[in-house]
Formats: sequence, structure tokens, C-alpha cells
Amino acid sequence: MSYTAGIDVGTGCVKTVLFEHRDGEPLWLEKRCERIRQRDPYQLAKDTFQEMLEARGLSAKQLGYVASTGDGESLPFTTGHFYSMTTHARGAIFLEPRTRGVVDIGALHGRAMRIDERGKVLGYKMTSQCASGSGQFLENIARYLGIAQDEIGALSKQGESPEKISSICAVLAETDVINMVSRGISAANILRGIHVSMAGRLATLLKGTALLDGVVLLTGGLALDTGMLAALQDALRNAHSRLEVKNHPDSIYAGAVGAAIWGEFRRKKLGFQPAEVRA
Amino acid sequence: MNTRQTLVERCSALFEDLSFGASRAWKDAQPGRKVVAYMPVYVPRELIHAAGMLPLGILGAGESLEVIHGDAYYQSYICRIPRSTLELGITGRLDFVEGFLFPSICDVIRNLSGIWKLQFPDVYVRYFDVPQNYVDGIGGSYYRRELEELKEGLEHLAGRLITPEALRASITLYNENRRLIAGLYALRTERPWQVPSSELYLVVRAGMVLPVEDHNQLLKDYHAAAVEEELPIRDKSRIVLSGVFCEQPPLSLIKAIEMAGCYIVDDDFMLITRWLLQDVPLDGDPLQNLVDAFLHHSAETSAKYQPEAKLKGQYLVDAVKGTKAEGVIFAAPSFCDPALLERPMLQTKLDATLVPHIGFKYAENSGQMQPVREQAGTFADSIKLWSNP
Repeated sequence: MSYTAGIDVGTGCVKTVLFEHRDGEPLWLEKRCERIRQRDPYQLAKDTFQEMLEARGLSAKQLGYVASTGDGESLPFTTGHFYSMTTHARGAIFLEPRTRGVVDIGALHGRAMRIDERGKVLGYKMTSQCASGSGQFLENIARYLGIAQDEIGALSKQGESPEKISSICAVLAETDVINMVSRGISAANILRGIHVSMAGRLATLLKGTALLDGVVLLTGGLALDTGMLAALQDALRNAHSRLEVKNHPDSIYAGAVGAAIWGEFRRKKLGFQPAEVRA
Repeated sequence: MNTRQTLVERCSALFEDLSFGASRAWKDAQPGRKVVAYMPVYVPRELIHAAGMLPLGILGAGESLEVIHGDAYYQSYICRIPRSTLELGITGRLDFVEGFLFPSICDVIRNLSGIWKLQFPDVYVRYFDVPQNYVDGIGGSYYRRELEELKEGLEHLAGRLITPEALRASITLYNENRRLIAGLYALRTERPWQVPSSELYLVVRAGMVLPVEDHNQLLKDYHAAAVEEELPIRDKSRIVLSGVFCEQPPLSLIKAIEMAGCYIVDDDFMLITRWLLQDVPLDGDPLQNLVDAFLHHSAETSAKYQPEAKLKGQYLVDAVKGTKAEGVIFAAPSFCDPALLERPMLQTKLDATLVPHIGFKYAENSGQMQPVREQAGTFADSIKLWSNP
């Protein structure tokens, strides 16, 4: 038996999970998701990690591997780091074993991957640096409109005449939104328009991975946005795609989960005991 | 006491100082001192030192200097190091240099020697043309004559003869310098978490601007500090970095590769510091000893011609095996002929021996490291998760 932890330092949130591995089976013990809100993300990661251990009466030395992912490369107390694609792919397989495609929508990027049953990334496409394909953009617009983040999805799905939004540039898109507000377009239709725009880009990314059928799991900070999910399902349906897009209640933890599970894989491969490789 | 941090901070300050304050200070310390710059491949620094002058390694201007004048002298489809080096000269940052040696690493640097002659007529400029034939009677004879001409030129510049005794003394110091650097590289190979490559790079690079006596002490101090202070071990992939021997990558690129999950366990940064693999003998004719060392004890790299096709790239395979590396990252400056023309042959060799590899290009002023992090990170993950044990 061993314990591993996964820490996903994202742009908007820090996600931390704790796993027990018994007879090769991962058992999920703890999870934490903290919005950064202008705090030091590394301190936040350390605090939530400690809090999680205390909740289970464990010490850091009892952990076989502490894995970071996302922007957590420099966390001082980890055993190793895995790149986000690697962890989201493995996390997606854990959450939904039928997954063969992953769409990771974080605060500052969107990414589509084609994976196999082991969680190995076979191909991927990413959005460019422009923020209009990202959760941060959506969050900003919601704030301008005075809408709470957890209301976005439900409100978006009420939109019946979504307004076309620039899908290229966040600056242009924000200008579009300002014009819409002045024209009296409803918040529902504005949000729906943003979701449709983002879904169009993500559908193009998915197409670029050459994934033709199977389950696609949404991961990352926007995975539970029901408006986003519906828009992507519509976009793929309109494109006559056979892909089945879904999310999971724990989709936001996919990166951290994948990190913890890969950590156990490395622990066994390297054959080291808890705390052997950490200061 | 010299801690790791204070030593690295000192090296970092030297690295960032594009006015070369340390070298200027050496020169100003005694009247009549002279400084001879060189681009850091092949050049026998022992000869400059034996003439009582300071060898100053110039590796371009890095990422902080905006190149304005330098661009006027070169077309856009060449590397950045000649432009930024010229920028250093035109903006007066090298106005304390009496000589400049341009080794025959590529045509661009050869052309830079001509431009330098025209631009700075009062400076002793020499295109230092080394042989790519390593047979004693052919390349050896040629290299001997080249060294003799260089020796005469340096003697004229220094206003004094380079005696065999002085040359032996200089060889002794540079032998020690090479041994110390080799020792640090060996320590990094053995315990890469103890010697971060971003630190090792700065410490070795300090030798470009410091007198060799000072640099030897610095190397000893850093080695002691690196052994003394335990750093945490991380689960990273061990990789060899290849192609970085002339125009240097920004320090942030080295850090990005390390942060992305790689331990660099071998590299070809600043090749001059590890060009000769053995001590140059002190007995007999010291000039001939330098010739023999160049011919028979110099490192196999992209900067050295290998006439045997089947041996092409074998050095890289040997480096991977010798350092227990798990893969190779090819990083080369954009438009770098010696590195980029060599790369396909090296990749073929690695493929034949099932060594995983990736490659990308950079410039000394590359600012966006996210693509490097992504490539190096996914490469490190693929080694850790999908390679055979």
C-alpha cells in the first residue's frame, strides 16, 4: 500500500488530491480546489496539501510520491512534475475509462487530445496564445455583465438567439460584447454567443487530433460549465461528428488525479520508498 | 564563506555585465595590460595568457542588448551572435580590447573578422583558421604554422616574446581549469540535483571574462559549495543537450528545460572549456604539445569534422551511455550551419540506437519559453512514462 498526492497549480485554481494505492488500485481519499484570488499559488498549494494530509492523519513522509502538474514545476516539496497533457489524459481515463479524447479548457488556454486506453497522448492541438478561447475571458465577460460564475451555464442555455462573437481576439470579442450590451442584447444570448464561439474553436481542435469516435471528456476549470458542454455538443452534432462529449463531476481535478496516479507509476518503476527522494 | 548562492550571484552579475567590468578592472589594475577577445571555440587561450594578456571570451550580447547597428551589417537569414557582437563593438563596450581572434567555426564568423578589421582598424584582428584534417603531417603541419603566426602576432601586440617557460606556465593553469570544469561536469552527471545546469553554466561562463587564476579558484569554491549544500532530488529525466556550442541560449532556456522535468547531464556549452580532453603535456616543445592535443585529444562534436561516416555521431551515443542519459535534446541557434547541418546525421545515429530525442531552435534573445517548456516537458514525461525501464 502507498499514498500519493497530485497538485495541479492552474491559472485560476489550485487543485490538490490524495490517493491510496492498494494492490494496484487507486483509491481517491481527499480533494481540494481553491481559487487563487490574488493569493500566492505556491503557498496555497502548500497549505491545501498540508490540510489534506491532516484530514487523513498522514505526514508528508508517508507519501510515496508528491506530483505537481500545471504551473507547479517549482513547488519545493514535490517528488516530480508531469506536464499537463500527460496528467489530464491519465486523469480522464480514471474518471471515465471509455475516454479517448480530452478537451482541457483552463483559464488561459484550450487543448484537445487524442489518447489511448492507458492515458497515453497520441495527438493534440492547442489554442494559440489568444485568450478568447479561455475561461479567463468568459469569467471577465460574466463579471462585466454582473453574473456569478456558477450562473453562467444555466443562463447561457436560456439563450435562444446567440450573438456572434469574434473567435479570434479577446480584445475584439470584448468590444463585441460592449456593443451587444448597448444594443440591448440579453445576457443569456451574449453568454450563449461566447460559448458557441469557444465551442467552434474547440471542435476545430478536436477535429485536428483526428479522433473520429468515442467519448470525449471535458476537463479543466470550465468542464462543469453546462453552457459550454451544450455548445460543444451542438457544434459537434452540427458537424456530423460521432464523438460523445461529456463531463464528470470531478472533471476539474483531472490534472491532479492524473499526477497522483502517474506518481504511483513512477514510484513503482523507480522502486523507491516514501520520502527517499524528497528533502 | 562563499556559499553557493553568493558564488552564483557573482557569476550572474558577470554574465549580465555587458560592459565587461571585471575584465576592465584587470586591465586597469596595472599600466600596460592588454586584453585579447576571442569567440569561444578552438582558440588556444594559453598563448594569449603566456603573452601576459587577458583572454576575453565573447559570446554575443545575450538577450538584454537591443541590436540596432549590428543588423545593418548582416542579412536577416543568419544567426544573431555576429550582429550582437558587432553591436558590442560599435557601442563602445569593447573599446578596451586590443585584439580579437575569430575562430573558423563558420563562414559568418569568418566574415565577422573582416568586418571587424574594417570597423576597428587599430585592433589586432586575426581569423584563426584551424584544420579539419587531423593527420599529423597534413592538418598538424598546417596548425603548427597557424599557431606560430598567431604567436608572432600576439608577441607583437604584447611587446614581448612568449617563452616556452611562460607557455608551459599558462598550459599548467589551463590544464587545471579544464580539470576543474571536467570535475564539475562529472559531479553533475553523478548527482545532477546538486549541480543545476543553470548554475554550472554561469560558473563556467564566468571563465570567459575572468583571469584563469581567478576562475580556477571560483571553480574550486563552487565545487566545494555544491558538495556541501544538499539539494533535494527530483524525479526528472536525464538528458544530453546538444548544439549549443557557439551562440548561447538565454539562461531562461536552460532553466525552462530543467523546470520542465529534465536533468541536463551533459552538454556542449562554450566548447572551448572542454575542447581538449586531456592535460596538455608540459615536457618538450609546448607549442607542439598544443598541436598534438588539438589533433589527438580534442572532443568529438559538431565543430569537428569526422571523415568516417560510420563514426559520425558516435560521440553523442557514447555521451548518452557514459552519462546514463535517457534522451537527447537538440537545441541549436537559428541559422547555425555547424549545428543544424549536423543534426540529421546525429538524429539518424540516435534512432539506430533507440535513443529518444527532440529538437528546437533558439536565438540568444529568445523570450518566449512556453513552447520550450511544453516540448521539453512532454519529452521528459514520455521518457518517464513510456520508455523501457
